[in-house]
Amino acid sequence: MFDWLQSLRDHSQLKKIQRQFLEMLADGRHIFDASSNALIGGTDPEVIREDLYTTDQRINRTEQAIRRELVVHGSVHGGAHVPALLVLMSLVKDAERIGDYAKNIFELALARPELGTDAERTALNECKDHVSKLLVRAAGLIESQDEQLAAAYLTESDKLQSLCDEQVGILMVEKGRNVVAAALAYRYFKRVASHAGNVVTSIVMPLDKLDYYPGKPDRDQ
Amino acid sequence: MSSSAPSSVETLTVRTRFPIWLRLIFVLALLFAFLVAIRLMGSSIKAFGKGAAGSMFDGVANPFAGLAVGTLATVLVQSSSTTTSTIVSLVGNGTLKLASAVPMIMGANIGTTITNTIVSIGHVRQGNEFRRAFAAATVHDFFNLLCVIALLPLEIGTGVLEKSASAISGKLTSIGGSEYESPIKQAVKSAGNWLQGSVEALGFEGKALAGVMLVIGIALTFLCLIFITKNLKVVFSGALERTLNKQLGRSGLIGIGVGILMTVAVQSSSITTSLLVPMCAAGVLTLRNAFPIMLGANIGTTVTALLASMGTDNPDGLTIALVHLLFNMVGVLLFYPLPILRDIPIRMAEKLAAGAQKNPFIVVAYVGGVFVLLPLLGYILLDK
Repeated sequence: MFDWLQSLRDHSQLKKIQRQFLEMLADGRHIFDASSNALIGGTDPEVIREDLYTTDQRINRTEQAIRRELVVHGSVHGGAHVPALLVLMSLVKDAERIGDYAKNIFELALARPELGTDAERTALNECKDHVSKLLVRAAGLIESQDEQLAAAYLTESDKLQSLCDEQVGILMVEKGRNVVAAALAYRYFKRVASHAGNVVTSIVMPLDKLDYYPGKPDRDQ
Repeated sequence: MSSSAPSSVETLTVRTRFPIWLRLIFVLALLFAFLVAIRLMGSSIKAFGKGAAGSMFDGVANPFAGLAVGTLATVLVQSSSTTTSTIVSLVGNGTLKLASAVPMIMGANIGTTITNTIVSIGHVRQGNEFRRAFAAATVHDFFNLLCVIALLPLEIGTGVLEKSASAISGKLTSIGGSEYESPIKQAVKSAGNWLQGSVEALGFEGKALAGVMLVIGIALTFLCLIFITKNLKVVFSGALERTLNKQLGRSGLIGIGVGILMTVAVQSSSITTSLLVPMCAAGVLTLRNAFPIMLGANIGTTVTALLASMGTDNPDGLTIALVHLLFNMVGVLLFYPLPILRDIPIRMAEKLAAGAQKNPFIVVAYVGGVFVLLPLLGYILLDK
């Protein structure tokens, strides 16, 4: 019950918290894929509703559990671990937001909106696949902590986010047809990619520059 | 690309400089040195001569003065383990009477709670956070004060704790056999004699020798306890964290068990109770769930005095250590099972914390009054 013997072998509760965080990312990716498939692929949204909300609640519970565990960790280990705690406190918020955007995509899918021509639909689907792969790679990078791969990831994520912005820009000036759903979908995909990117910045950026991309000016400049 | 980026989760995982097995061996060596130190303290005070040694503690024949001395000594050294171990040593060599030592042990219980109260003051600028932290710290104070209010008059009138502890101690020593001396005790005696011989070789003799031995004994006790606690905290930090994580949403008897185990593992009730303060401040642990852990810490901390009694020859050393254990166990039995009584220290702490949040002067008055002024006045006025 108290795992006293275990304590002599494993000293890192932070690693346990990291595992929980990776589960949050995996859950986020799962409901992002499910809701995006409902929006673009034609899956009946009602089929995934229960799974989506259950998974999102699990993400929220894990976020709260991690926060509690971080407070306990800080109390036991003191000041030396404060940077790690602050990083994780920030990262769990990004992972939780991915779940929220998956719910936004699901709500969009419930309206069964028009998503444009076949070519436009295909482009949207490719964007979705790219975001999904980025989510998987973000989790892998948190495990491997490979700085070079993380830097390459952030460059790629940045490009994808720019592509989403471009698409929204094009759709904004469309006249004569309803493109709101497609514009919103690109916007949500960009936000999911951005939150996954924020997670990866923890590998290459110092704590004060968390969420900022290397080599790029601050977003508010 | 900052290769030294401090934000990487991986690079910030816990690392210890020494392997656990080495730390455990070090702790065993420190425990041995602690027993030697207890023996040194006892024998050096004896060496001052019966009259001199006896007069040092005449004043504390008054139980309230004894209570004040126990509180003040613990506040000064910030460690009830040091105070209780010293008391065990003094009782063990016959310098301090058992009856005089009992209130001192109770005072040590009160004095030790100042540590987590000081920890809570670190949150003083954070409004509600401070209120929760201060309540978590002072609930331990109020519980210990209530125990003393309830049990000290009873002890003065009946000597029930002393008699019960004597009976248990008598049974335990008779099991061991009066002629039998454990190998640990023999080794402690040999090490103590060797250390005394080394100091004598430097040219010290008589009362000068006793003085040097006393200083070495006190310093060694203090250092051993500090390093034992520090190393055990590193060894058991993972278990402490896991246990606290599991305990967050629970209350009741299991919390008492958790408090006992945590405190025995790190040999310090102050560490256990001080860990709870920031968790209560952050709101992840409620005062009602923290309270039983604190009661467990009170019981767990008595292990140090029991260990110290192994360094003395006189069964009275064991008896006073058992008084410490009984006092804390009776306190829990008295105030924990009935919700109406359990609520008293909790409500007192909540009220004081609410007042302290509005007026920080209350914090100064409380800490200064309970831990310094009252014990000081008690000692000055009641000392013969």
